[in-house]
Amino acid sequence: MPGKLLRIDEHLIEQEPYYLATGDEVAIAKAAYDQGMPLLLKGPTGCGKTRFMQYLAWRLQRPLVTVSCHDDLSTSDLVGRYLIRSGEAVWTDGPLTMAVRAGAICYLDEIVEARKDTTVIIHPLADDRRELPIEKRGELLTAPSEFMLAVSYNPGYQSVLKDLKASTRQRFVALSFTYPELEKEVEIVCREGNLEHEVARLLVKLAGMTRGLKDSGLAEGASTRLLIQAGKLIGCGIPVQVACRAAICEALTDDRELLGALDEMVSSLF
Amino acid sequence: MPMDHEELKTRFYQLVAPSLPNEWDVEEALASLSAGQDDQVDDILAQVPAIWPVSHSLCFAYLAAVGPALRHLDTGELSLWVHTLLDRYETGGLRGAQLFMADVEQHFFRQMRGQGGLRAVDVFSRLQPYVNGLAGREMPLVAASLAATDTECIFVPDVLDLFVDNEQNFLLYKLTVSFQWASTVMGTLTAPPTVPAGDALTHPLEQFFSSFSCPSRARSLYHFFETGRMLTFLADELPGLMREAAALLPRLPLAEDAAEAVSLLDLLQRGLLRDNWPIRGTDRVVDRAVDLVRHSQSRDADNQDSIEAVKELIPQLEDENDWTGTTPLVFQGTLRLQDAWLALIRQRQERENRFIKALTAHIEHHRAMVPADAEEPEGGQNQSSQQGQDLALIVDTDKQAQRQAPPAPSLRIDNEDILLNEELAQLAAEIRRDLGTMPEEYISSAVGRAGHGFALRQATEADAGQESMGPAVYDEWDYRRKGFRKNWCVVKEKEIPQVQNTFIEQTLHQYRGQIRRLRHQFEMMRTSERFVRRQREGSDIDFDALVESLADMRAGRPSSDRLFIRLARDQRDIAVYFLVDMSNSTSGWVGQAIKEALVLICEAMEPLNDRYGIYGFSGMRRLRCEVYPVKRLDERYSPQVRQRIGAMGPREYTRMAPAIRHMTSVFADVEAKIRLLIVLSDGKPEDYDEYKGEYAIEDTRHALLEAKARGVHPFCITIDRTAHEYMAHMYGAVNYIFVDEISRLPARMPEIYRTLTT
Repeated sequence: MPGKLLRIDEHLIEQEPYYLATGDEVAIAKAAYDQGMPLLLKGPTGCGKTRFMQYLAWRLQRPLVTVSCHDDLSTSDLVGRYLIRSGEAVWTDGPLTMAVRAGAICYLDEIVEARKDTTVIIHPLADDRRELPIEKRGELLTAPSEFMLAVSYNPGYQSVLKDLKASTRQRFVALSFTYPELEKEVEIVCREGNLEHEVARLLVKLAGMTRGLKDSGLAEGASTRLLIQAGKLIGCGIPVQVACRAAICEALTDDRELLGALDEMVSSLF
Repeated sequence: MPMDHEELKTRFYQLVAPSLPNEWDVEEALASLSAGQDDQVDDILAQVPAIWPVSHSLCFAYLAAVGPALRHLDTGELSLWVHTLLDRYETGGLRGAQLFMADVEQHFFRQMRGQGGLRAVDVFSRLQPYVNGLAGREMPLVAASLAATDTECIFVPDVLDLFVDNEQNFLLYKLTVSFQWASTVMGTLTAPPTVPAGDALTHPLEQFFSSFSCPSRARSLYHFFETGRMLTFLADELPGLMREAAALLPRLPLAEDAAEAVSLLDLLQRGLLRDNWPIRGTDRVVDRAVDLVRHSQSRDADNQDSIEAVKELIPQLEDENDWTGTTPLVFQGTLRLQDAWLALIRQRQERENRFIKALTAHIEHHRAMVPADAEEPEGGQNQSSQQGQDLALIVDTDKQAQRQAPPAPSLRIDNEDILLNEELAQLAAEIRRDLGTMPEEYISSAVGRAGHGFALRQATEADAGQESMGPAVYDEWDYRRKGFRKNWCVVKEKEIPQVQNTFIEQTLHQYRGQIRRLRHQFEMMRTSERFVRRQREGSDIDFDALVESLADMRAGRPSSDRLFIRLARDQRDIAVYFLVDMSNSTSGWVGQAIKEALVLICEAMEPLNDRYGIYGFSGMRRLRCEVYPVKRLDERYSPQVRQRIGAMGPREYTRMAPAIRHMTSVFADVEAKIRLLIVLSDGKPEDYDEYKGEYAIEDTRHALLEAKARGVHPFCITIDRTAHEYMAHMYGAVNYIFVDEISRLPARMPEIYRTLTT
């Protein structure tokens, strides 16, 4: 079926995505891939989980199928369903099935957001069976060795509702992501935001300050992604303080007093 | 017609009823009033009901002071003045209020015109998170007379009014806070290793200063050099702040502006702030001092350089001026060396305790895991004395080894390696960073404790039990002043003592038929999954729809595209708290009915997946508001919960608002689509003190508004016959229900809950 092949090919990443390794994560992920083990990425928002997956997919030269999970994601949304086309019922693969067939990497982003019963279907795929049963077609797909399953979640949400079941999490090789260390983060912001080194350094310093505000009511500090966005605004000629306010302070909180304090940090630094 | 003294007194007593203050006090307070200002007496007395309940002595002080104050004030401004007065009383006590009343011009009008400067308390909300962000930890800001830090807190001046424009005063506050933070980072208050520590209770730097004939001069000079160093650091670290401050610094007043004899310190201050350095060549010592300041401002200077500068300069000074006339710069403040030293000692002590406690537990755990190893062949008495000697912490200090992945730190005790857990490893690292080594006595005392640990452990566990949950403090709304009384009520969570009785069994038996029916009814409300047919999208094909559609197509009619079936879930995401009035008035059958109602609702809720909890409340006066957790939100409906329901009984008064505020804050941690607070009450809110009538109703109403604003939906079930008068005002017309026949309450309650949540 040429149509399908074309679709999965669209997921192939051709250009090398920029990724600066902060530890052994690339080596571990490659080893997991070689051994057919699934990958669990955890870490705060905007710290580079998705970028890492893109980079890994590029390194392995496999297509990357990303599914952003939400609380209404059903099994059919992942596996596939029958559709009616010109009076005929036609089976259409869902993203997961598509990835298994093509030996691609399937990345379920924010897996905890999905309904608990949905996450269970990845169980047989995530252990040594590496199988995906498609009940509606009576089919049992066995994943080729090129296939890899990866999921991610943010352990920072302090909610009992948003936690992974032990039976799910104990199938994965887990990599913990945090914000990169100072010098590395500066390098990333510098390059991705196309900034001068000094401005990038101050942006990272600002982020460091916001990350210390957990007890003052800011659950999560500024992510690397926010810094890059601020950098891009600055690159477009927006004054630094205005860019920081729009891309960082306002994005972080609605609380007036905290906003005030964040503004003071910005005006102190720039 | 002048108001008669007696008449005045009668009116005063009417205003403060039902309290009966001492006649002698009243006469004295009113004496200054009757002296004149007849036309103003009405206005003056009109403020009494707002002040009297806050403090009687404040009210008398007000009556004494209001006369003179009115010479400056317009009567129209009186209520605003009183409002400010009450705020001052709450922050500064009676003394603060008296100071405020004493000078209307200074404390009120300048404030009104925005010339009163900026008060520290007004900038804390903005600067506290700011400094926490800078420091990466909580560094409380405290108002004091002079700026300072003890490395744990930062002190800032109470008021800054150096500039007319408050924006600049704010900038000065910000500079002060940043400067004090910088001096903790740059180690101004830490003695470098070259300074010998003699007396353990005195800061080594303080000992160093006292080695000079005039210690205060040495201290001032040291602090000045450090200030120069700090400003360089800040310019590097917070360039934006220092750019803004550049315009501000030269305008700061200097002692030198007024002084006659200009000392070395004055000259240096002027140079640093206004870039107006003394002309070279006039004085050799001054020239050298300027060079040293320049050096201390270089990037690689540390406080050792400042100490060297002091050592070099002080002996060369000829005059005996002790520089007391030279005030430190505003943001610089004073050096609280001794406080910092005590804080350091305290931190060390805490860390030692934590380390020993954690290590004791760790060793015990370790010995429990390997009991065979614990049996030393030697055994006997000399073992414990040996223990102390065989200890050594072998956390690898070799730098090369550390650069590679650091090995798991371990501890060697009695020739046996014990791996440290993460907490201990971190503590050990902190201790070594601070002290340079790991003191052996830390380890030996942990080993000693682990030896005969049982009694000790029991003691610590008992300690932990007592400090379960500290009291929470809430504001109270005073409708007369349209403002909050800050931190007014103290709410404690208390356990209901267990009582053995047959109440539950009786109730279950009495209502058994009803309970069965209720369970069935509530089961119907459970989260349901149902198929929705004829959808445009769905997980499966709806064959009925498909057949119809195909038939339509064959017949040439337009066919539907709604061919799918979808599984829909109606999720009930509800969290509910029942807040039950346990005041004295509920004694007897009223309380009985409420308790029965609770049992019934619990029985009915069991098949339902809604999360629910029960709290009782009562108490007396603002400092003893009590709430009794009967069932917390995620607690099971266990026999203990049933027993607690059975043990609920009438207690004291009905100060309702603090309990509501407490529930709102409990709800803050609960994630649910619908958060419901159902209050069961038998009457108006009321307390032993003046908390009654309109005041109590308005406060409760305000607490309910706060709850709504935070996404909690309040609802009240009441059995008070006169409820209609005030309930609608407090809860809103549709948010309460009146149960006229108390015996029907148990049956009505589940019904009410069902209507509320479907």
